[in-house]
Amino acid sequence: MHTPNVTFHERVDKALRDQILHTALDRATGRFQTMRLSALASLEDADAVRDRARLIRAHTLSRLDAYLEQFATNVEKAGGHVHFAADASALNEIVNEIARKHDVKTVVKGKSMISEEAELNRALESNDIRVVETDLGEYIIQLAGETPSHIVGPAIHKTKEQIGELLHEKISIPYTDDPAQMTAAARAKLRREFLEADMGISGVNFGIAETGTICLVENEGNGRLTTTAPRVHVALMGIERIVPNLDDLSVMLQVLARSATGQKITVYTNLITGPRRNGEGDGPDELHIILLDNGRSRVLGTEVAEILYCIRCGACLNACPVYREIGGHAYGSVYTGPVGAVLTPALGGIAAWNDLPQASSLCGACREVCPVRIDIPRMLLVERDQATRAGKMAWWLRLGLHLYSFTVTRPALFHAATTFSRWGSRLAAAPTNGWIKRLPPPLIGWTRSRDFPAFAKKSFREQFEASHKK
Amino acid sequence: MRDDREQVLSQIRASLKTAHLPTARATVPPRVSAGQGERAAMLENFRRELELLGGLSFLAQSDEEAIEIVLKLLRDVGGKELLSWEDSEMPVRGLGDALQASGYTRQKVKLAKDAAERKNKLMTLERATVGITGALAGLADTGSLALLSSAARPRLASLLPPTHIALLQTSRLFPNMASFFAAYPDITREASNLAFVAGPSRTADIELVLQRGVHGPKFVHVVLCDW
Ligand code: SF4
Repeated sequence: MHTPNVTFHERVDKALRDQILHTALDRATGRFQTMRLSALASLEDADAVRDRARLIRAHTLSRLDAYLEQFATNVEKAGGHVHFAADASALNEIVNEIARKHDVKTVVKGKSMISEEAELNRALESNDIRVVETDLGEYIIQLAGETPSHIVGPAIHKTKEQIGELLHEKISIPYTDDPAQMTAAARAKLRREFLEADMGISGVNFGIAETGTICLVENEGNGRLTTTAPRVHVALMGIERIVPNLDDLSVMLQVLARSATGQKITVYTNLITGPRRNGEGDGPDELHIILLDNGRSRVLGTEVAEILYCIRCGACLNACPVYREIGGHAYGSVYTGPVGAVLTPALGGIAAWNDLPQASSLCGACREVCPVRIDIPRMLLVERDQATRAGKMAWWLRLGLHLYSFTVTRPALFHAATTFSRWGSRLAAAPTNGWIKRLPPPLIGWTRSRDFPAFAKKSFREQFEASHKK
Repeated sequence: MRDDREQVLSQIRASLKTAHLPTARATVPPRVSAGQGERAAMLENFRRELELLGGLSFLAQSDEEAIEIVLKLLRDVGGKELLSWEDSEMPVRGLGDALQASGYTRQKVKLAKDAAERKNKLMTLERATVGITGALAGLADTGSLALLSSAARPRLASLLPPTHIALLQTSRLFPNMASFFAAYPDITREASNLAFVAGPSRTADIELVLQRGVHGPKFVHVVLCDW
């Protein structure tokens, strides 16, 4: 995975100062959350369904090798091709080779996080292949030259005014901030692309082992067009995205859309088993399914294997107070929010991503909303520990901890220190109703984006002693 | 072509020896049967859900009534070119003749293997204003249609034109997806594509403002054949 060259803290700082970003994030994540709640309420026994969804994910991963083999055999039986890619470059190589074989000049794409993970667009473009994103959100950020900031709503960091400017500039339509007009303009532009493309590339939500089917869910119809109009369909999936059978699929689908967008089901649930057959008039002549590993098989053997249960619904992003403040781009990674904070270091190595597990207050909101009840806070702690062991602790934190242990093991010194900080902090906070606006270095970073409460008048120890004297 | 199958599978097997997978069990316990729904209740549910999604439904008691409804809808939309499933695939007898008598032409969906020919054909199909299909089933809990592809049942009919008219027998309603799969356990072996369609195409990618009719049809009308 590509590591950004600006530090995590610089990106967070920038995000926190961006007023427009805040407006957009607030509007989007707030709505997502309300809709999720009402959708879950429409499920008679939401808790039982979530429990079952979790059981299915856990069970499948515990025999992933067998299910993958079964899946591959059944895809091939239906006339499809299966490729395993150990890493991103293998995936890009395979897609490029399929494209070469079919003399592909233009590719239309449905939404795929795997393609973002492998930076496939760049790999195709370097072979002079034109790549067109067709999901409206993805199309917008492709025009803007950006990356998705949210798994489900790739462009939710943008306001409609910004998108209006962008479309005006890039596809030469008169400026408008009316979403209806913008959507119509994008439809017209993209319709031609669908009809003329040589290859369609899509993601995969679930692969069904027992039938060799892939399931893609979407609302716009771009996914169905991508997998129906062009001659060749290439589907990209992570090796962990398997479910055993169709009944299991129906369970996963009950929670996926509800958690993602608050719908009972997406508009389109597309089940594809092999390329077109028996004289079918449309659909691709060739279907290639590429299974990307890129570290997942290794993560499976670790303490954070549970993150592979994830079905990419995005609910934990919307619920996360940190994500809601800083947005997706501040994470600097393809997968953002709580799931990204665990998954990114797991796949890309803790040394390069040691800051991400810190991007959480461990409030537990992510675990609360996760449709498969992934214990994200537990894994964040595991990774924080790994970061510390890898010597990836900030110098001021290391110094602070040394000072702390030196002080607390010497009672007289500890007493003096608490008295000092109490009076110091109350003085500093006196003009601002008990809140400190600016801590002295090296703690200044904390107060840059938040206030710090002054210490209480009496320490716990003093209160304890006073109450026991009575 | 490069294939890392063995490498990936053997790493998975090695990892599974130490994997920490909370709540993993050897099997997932079987589910209590999804159950049968009562037709009238399912019908009501289906119509309500479809309407919530922005689709419309029309109840017909006979072939004649169904044809009348379809012709009326077509007149409202305008245009004479249609994409449609073959007559044998639709639950309404006499529809094909009625369409022809009213001057509608139905494009044959047959995309060539050749790239240029395929593109040309798609360009002509794109002119159709309405697509007509016959749904295999309806799911009451979500208002969705199950559409199964075949030579006589092109996928593009429910995808390319801005209006989609689906004919659905009310005897083919199921309470939900699980009960549908239970009734058709081998469905994926029959054709390469099974699509569940719940109402008109939509997006909320611009500030989560709902827009209907992005890439798929903006209007979905379901004619319920209740006889
Ligand atoms: S971790 Fe859970 S809540 Fe977050 S995206 Fe994955 S499935 Fe959804």
